[in-house]
Amino acid sequence: MYDFNLRVLLPYWPAFCKGALLTLEISALALVISLPCGLLISLMRVSRSRLLRALGTVYVETVRNVPLLVVLYVLCYALPVYGVPLSVFAAGVLGLSINSAAFTTEIFRGGFAAIPGGQEEAARALGLGRAQLLALVVLPQVFRVVLPTLGNQVVSVVLGSAQASIIGVAELTYQTQSIGSATFRYFELFTMAALFYIVCVQAIGGIWRLLTGRAAKAPLGT
Amino acid sequence: MIGSGHFAAYLLLLLRGVVVTLELSLGALVIGSVVGILLGAMRSSRRRPLRLAALVYIEALRSTPFVILLFLMYYAMPLALNIDIPPFPAAISALSLHCSAYMAEVVRSGIESVAKGQWEAAAALGLGYRRIMRFVVLPQALPVMIPPTIGVYISTIKESSLASIVGFVELLGQGMAIRESNAGRGTADVLVAVAFGYFAICYSLSRLGRYIEGRSSRDRRAAAVRARPAAAPRWRFARRTLS
Repeated sequence: MYDFNLRVLLPYWPAFCKGALLTLEISALALVISLPCGLLISLMRVSRSRLLRALGTVYVETVRNVPLLVVLYVLCYALPVYGVPLSVFAAGVLGLSINSAAFTTEIFRGGFAAIPGGQEEAARALGLGRAQLLALVVLPQVFRVVLPTLGNQVVSVVLGSAQASIIGVAELTYQTQSIGSATFRYFELFTMAALFYIVCVQAIGGIWRLLTGRAAKAPLGT
Repeated sequence: MIGSGHFAAYLLLLLRGVVVTLELSLGALVIGSVVGILLGAMRSSRRRPLRLAALVYIEALRSTPFVILLFLMYYAMPLALNIDIPPFPAAISALSLHCSAYMAEVVRSGIESVAKGQWEAAAALGLGYRRIMRFVVLPQALPVMIPPTIGVYISTIKESSLASIVGFVELLGQGMAIRESNAGRGTADVLVAVAFGYFAICYSLSRLGRYIEGRSSRDRRAAAVRARPAAAPRWRFARRTLS
């Protein structure tokens, strides 16, 4: 029977915590970058300019259909060849952001699609311009529609951040692996890491629902 | 840049990688679907402990990064069970676990998409739970489940790229091996080729999913239109019995 021993790992506790903090840090950074970018690209995808729409579509379809790990490898191994040396930290955050922005774009686009066309006619009848229509009428409602789904995106960025360990960002997964190679206590370590992610993701989900529940439940002014 | 002499050989290697990637993820999808159907049925079961057990399984797996699952299978399980687990079994079991949680949600929402009146009507006709499931609910739920299943297949294909880090040579693994054999020269070319491979697979699958989704919703609308005039067949039946 395997002897499940956590005491051996006690001296490595600080490294584990440091990794966990870095996981939260790169996830937060990637979200801060990718949520506005996603909104911007989704605006491109609903714009009147055909070129902007096409650019947005190409970006979303390309990134959504290529694994995050390949994006991370391109940033980490291919960009330096063309004279763009990125630190692993920057490559990790950028890769996560590029990936998350594409999925966020699709979430926002779904939000735009949920706004009935009558709103535009009503706004025009009231004499609002296009910018006002967007800022005062459409966007506030889009935010309310997409809030619950954006919570899923926050979660999937945290889960995706584990892949940053592969290019050498010293976040939780990386730390567990390196502690494991020193102690050979892989079973305990990866179980602890899995528990950390589960608690983290469930907490994010719970807090998100708590914070956005009322906004999401309020009826749209249709 | 990679010498053009090797170009054909490398392309062949990458194509083999594409096939291996498709096989690995399809295997995981099939295993994951079987487990997922079981879990999805448990989620809509009348027994509370069954519902709870399925919920805990699904939530735990969906909140664990796939990398951790893979490492658990590849590094931790051999120690815990004192057996040797090669890269392929580790990769496919981790992928199947991952897949099963997502398929369970697909199955559950498919079952929930069948109107409650169908259950009640079938129960009124005297069918038990199993027969209702088999003859009434599943035949209606399965077509609804096809597009999201393709979605799960796409994300499984993308996650399967992580199998390369435990030494299983699929598409990305082939790419990294080619990169290694050239001592890092032509990295960008190889990675772009690998990315294009994933793009070609996933994009065509997602188009297929969208096509099926569009067609089935068109079918349902057409069926609703057809359902109205129902008298003609009966008249023909009557005439045939007379002659």
